[in-house]
Amino acid sequence: MLIFSVFKTLTDQRVTVELKNDLSISGVLKSVDQFLNIRLDSIRVLDEARHPHMMAVKNCFIRGSVVRYVTLPAEHVDTQLLEDATRREAATQVKR
Amino acid sequence: MDSPTPPPPPPTNDQSPPPPPPATTSGSPTDFLKGVVGKRVIVRLISGVDYRGVLSCLDGYMNIALEQTEEHVNGAVTNRYGDAFIRGNNVLYISAAEVL
Amino acid sequence: MDPSSSIQEPFDLIRLSLSERVFVKLRGDRELTGVLHAYDGHMNLILSDVEETIMIVDVAEGAPEGQGTVNVAKRKMEMLFVRGDGVILVSPPSRT
Repeated sequence: MLIFSVFKTLTDQRVTVELKNDLSISGVLKSVDQFLNIRLDSIRVLDEARHPHMMAVKNCFIRGSVVRYVTLPAEHVDTQLLEDATRREAATQVKR
Repeated sequence: MDSPTPPPPPPTNDQSPPPPPPATTSGSPTDFLKGVVGKRVIVRLISGVDYRGVLSCLDGYMNIALEQTEEHVNGAVTNRYGDAFIRGNNVLYISAAEVL
Repeated sequence: MDPSSSIQEPFDLIRLSLSERVFVKLRGDRELTGVLHAYDGHMNLILSDVEETIMIVDVAEGAPEGQGTVNVAKRKMEMLFVRGDGVILVSPPSRT
């Protein structure tokens, strides 16, 4: 839930999503859900020469499970806030 | 409760027979896991990589915390970690590396 | 539980590494080092000041088994989300 919240605060920011098949797509984060599925607008494929079929695509939906990394705009991430929220969430995770 | 252990099932035609269990162990898998906490263990991952170290703790997903960990890739030590967290889905087995 | 060790569950190890530089081993012969700012129960991670190392084994023509040369590619990323399903191992800075 915590990471979902982080992504929600980053909507309308430009991010780069790297997929497990090595395709990297940069775009404006339009929405995200609890599975970390991602909708991107104004997309650009980083290596267009290798993926020419992607040139006409302007927006996309990415299934969360195929994502390897998302590079985030560091200036919009409050690391202190993140660490506090992570400790708070860890404290509420009761052991089975 | 304390009935004698049943005879072992007839051998199946698997590719490789399981290693014989140490004579001292008995009880459920959970009992085994409780017994190896704090002991030297070998954790083998599905990829074939081994981690040898002292088992600090583990959880229900088989996420594992190891201390004084050595990473072994086909026999050679490839890395050492003071502490290591191993995500449980990668684990093939946990084996005791000292007597329990 | 036995109080001889200071951590009771594996995630404690990760929690104690918040705001520290950690080593992460990933599927696909990738390794990261970065400063840990957030994680969740899936081992989704948010790291900053990240260096990624990708091991690429080139098996030369006619070379004997296991004699390929290992090429290493490195990349840096300022702020990175790592999807947990690719994580194999996380190691905090050695406190020895």
